[in-house]
Amino acid sequence: MALRIEKLIARQVWVTAFTNRAFLWLSLGIGLLLTYAAVTGWVTVRQQNATGRTYQQQARQDWLSNPDKHPHRMAHYGHFAFRPKAPLSVFDFGMESFLGNTIYLEAHKQNSVNFSEAGFSTGLLRFGEISLAMVLQLLLPLLLFFLGFGTIASDRETGTLKLLLSQGVSWRQLLAGKTLGLMAVMLTLYGPVMLATSALWFRLLEGTIGADQTIRLLLLLGAHFLYLSFFCVIAVLVSARSQTAKTALVSLIGLWLMLTLVLPRASQALGSYLYPAPSKVKFLADIQTDVLKEGDSHNPSDPHYKGLKDSLLMAYQVDSVQKLPFNYSGFVMAEGEKISAHLYNDHFQGLLAIYDQQNRFSKAMAFVDPYLAIRNLSMALSGTDFASYVDFQQQAEQYRYEMAQTMNDLQIRFISNRKPGPTDKPYQIDRKYWQKLPEFTYQPMAVGGVFRHEFIPLLAFVFWVGLLLVVAWRLTKTLKAV
Amino acid sequence: MIRLAFTNFIRSGGVRIGLVFLLTVGITALLVGKQFSQRQQQSLSDVLAFQQSDFSRQAAIHHDDMGLLLYYLKFSVINQTRPLTGLSIGQRDVNAAVQSVTIRALEGQKYDADLTNPANLLLGNVDFSFVLIYLFPLLIIAFTYSIISDEKENGTWSMVAVQSQHLFCFVGQLFAIRLAVLLAVLLIISGLAISVLDIPLDSAFMLFLATSVGYMLFWFSVCFWVTSLQRSSSTNAMLLLGIWLALLIVLPAALNNYLMARYPVPEAQATTLAQRKGYHEKWDMDKTATVEKFYAHYPQFRQIPAVAMPTDWRWYYAMQQLGDDESAVQAGELKQKLQQREASSRAIARFIPTLHTQLQLSELARSGLGNQLRFLEYTTRFHEKMRLYFYPKIFANAAVSAENWSSFRVDTFADSTPIGPVTVLGPLVIFISLFAGLGWYRFRQTIYQL
Repeated sequence: MALRIEKLIARQVWVTAFTNRAFLWLSLGIGLLLTYAAVTGWVTVRQQNATGRTYQQQARQDWLSNPDKHPHRMAHYGHFAFRPKAPLSVFDFGMESFLGNTIYLEAHKQNSVNFSEAGFSTGLLRFGEISLAMVLQLLLPLLLFFLGFGTIASDRETGTLKLLLSQGVSWRQLLAGKTLGLMAVMLTLYGPVMLATSALWFRLLEGTIGADQTIRLLLLLGAHFLYLSFFCVIAVLVSARSQTAKTALVSLIGLWLMLTLVLPRASQALGSYLYPAPSKVKFLADIQTDVLKEGDSHNPSDPHYKGLKDSLLMAYQVDSVQKLPFNYSGFVMAEGEKISAHLYNDHFQGLLAIYDQQNRFSKAMAFVDPYLAIRNLSMALSGTDFASYVDFQQQAEQYRYEMAQTMNDLQIRFISNRKPGPTDKPYQIDRKYWQKLPEFTYQPMAVGGVFRHEFIPLLAFVFWVGLLLVVAWRLTKTLKAV
Repeated sequence: MIRLAFTNFIRSGGVRIGLVFLLTVGITALLVGKQFSQRQQQSLSDVLAFQQSDFSRQAAIHHDDMGLLLYYLKFSVINQTRPLTGLSIGQRDVNAAVQSVTIRALEGQKYDADLTNPANLLLGNVDFSFVLIYLFPLLIIAFTYSIISDEKENGTWSMVAVQSQHLFCFVGQLFAIRLAVLLAVLLIISGLAISVLDIPLDSAFMLFLATSVGYMLFWFSVCFWVTSLQRSSSTNAMLLLGIWLALLIVLPAALNNYLMARYPVPEAQATTLAQRKGYHEKWDMDKTATVEKFYAHYPQFRQIPAVAMPTDWRWYYAMQQLGDDESAVQAGELKQKLQQREASSRAIARFIPTLHTQLQLSELARSGLGNQLRFLEYTTRFHEKMRLYFYPKIFANAAVSAENWSSFRVDTFADSTPIGPVTVLGPLVIFISLFAGLGWYRFRQTIYQL
């Protein structure tokens, strides 16, 4: 009963929207785009995951079907890791297209993750992609602005506002009613998206629904609801502040362009301008320099490895490495792998720190621009952000390291320490050992990681809820009827 | 009259703010382009420095084993960055401009990704082409959407209509003023670009500029047509923004989704897997058979007599070579798929002026997929050249010291594919005439409606 007036006003917004032909056409267009986004998202996720699975299995088969051989040959044979797409990437493509999906894992060498969609793109990609998230984050706010620019400004122009206020309707009731009306219209579009996303998500998980994935989905849907509500509030507030509907429209369009087009690019450009990252050549050369400083296992006269040799000879009381009770060159390679992997990880962390600095501006901008807040949060929840990718890269590197060290270990234990003569059969071990190396399976990052990485956008959401309430409350005190 | 109209236009508050904004972003874009060029220069000198120190170091360590030395040495080839590239960075921030390859199997090295921060790639560069393609149309729309409707809404249109003898010419003048102002901004930015980025005034730059002007004219013609419909200011604004949205966000993105789903590239994975298997399985196969296959590919090396060396390098590099040879089918399919993507996106882009402009600008700046594919092609030839140069030396175990390692230059790929002005400008001209014609036709009927 208490909300009767708000309901009436909301109902009026709703009816106006649904009797507006332009709005109906636009909604139809948005609906078609959402369907298109869902279908292409679904097809791409299925396609890429099927490709990844096929080749992951084939790579494993290839590995297992190797005959008896020297373990170091197997370390060079190596393995592949294919990055699967997360189930919610059907909703938000995020950075997917700019991230590689195939990495070759071999001894001594950290390869790049190759074959990103962007590398094979014509430049069309730079215009963006249509995903459910993109439509919700970019296009729906504009539709809400189109719908909301006149909510109060038109009433002011026609004089209805004066009538309403003189009949005892308060500003609080008016703002709340108009906002609720807009939100109701928003929900008629967003509701089906929630259902569709949940259905696609359910299908992609194939019945194995865990708490982690459920939390992600619910947070994602909740965050987008809040985000879209912000725009309803902003539309009504701007409309309430504008003298004419046209001013309100132009202001809202300007705001939309600022929030979605200018600020995101500008803040990212500033970050990458101020914190230049090293070129790939430089990055690799620096690692090599450090490795050489520590010790070059391929250089017979390297001091580090000479020291290692001397201490081994001393400990085992022998005068040559051939007399050691284990395979010496396997031991040297294990040491080399340890050093180079360690240094690589150090440099990689350094690189990630630079990228973090580059991204700092656009992250902090979340407090100015809700679009940036939702974008980062949504990617993280969908598992299509950089952190999820780095997580994959690190798991792949961990696997690579263990693979190389397992093979080194087999060499240390089972390969004779004497150099084979020219007529000897090459040294090798039984192929049964190849099975001992477990298959690579990517473990998706737990949702807790999202809270850690996306702390700022989450905080920004809280901030935005507070800010809009405060602004609305203040406006109820200061707004004028004319 | 025209002077008054000009003063009237330039004095409106929003106009000056808009122009200052556009100029500021335009100049920022030049700085972004400058920084891009500098980074390219930096990675060029990085690769030179690395090659110089690494080659002599490796040559000293492996001074008696040519085969082992060539196992390690990485030869670099650079995709030349032109000054114009700074104006339209295109795909150059995704694809590495430097390829460093050993003479071992190529397929496993060719597609190695560059180090990039994907957040930068995702949000895109604020380069000149972004300013031109996204922001100029917005200003054109902002300056023209209410050109007549505003007068009507303020009740002044009937006075204008009564007082001017050639109303159509008057409307034309209003558009011409705005066109001249925005063209001036474009020319200022281009003029600055010439000095900031050291752009030579060659035909590529002229075509680049002509395309930019053509693109602006396209948007003016669209605005002219929308004005001729004689709707209210709000309707015009929504209609024009809708067109902007469709041409710059919705259609390109939808097309991108389509191309991705239509031409997936599992061939990439197939190629790497085939290459690995093709090489590695030879370790467990008959040596003679492998070497025979190698001779079948390169009969000229059969003549080189075998010399004693610690490792049988002829067999080793034969195995590597077979890694490439046995993944050639997959690699060919991959190449074909990418060319299909390129061809169909260009074909479709002809009907979407925004896309067409972006693709042509990056083609002119040598920063599109076409350039990348040609660079990969060149890398393949470069790799082959290095192989053929070193194979005989390795097989004969030539003295490492005989080669002048410090004089090994970094190779450069200069893309000189010709670009015809008709392909670039043709579609724009057609669209400009279409919308200008529609507008003119419509105006003839509506101009005296008050």
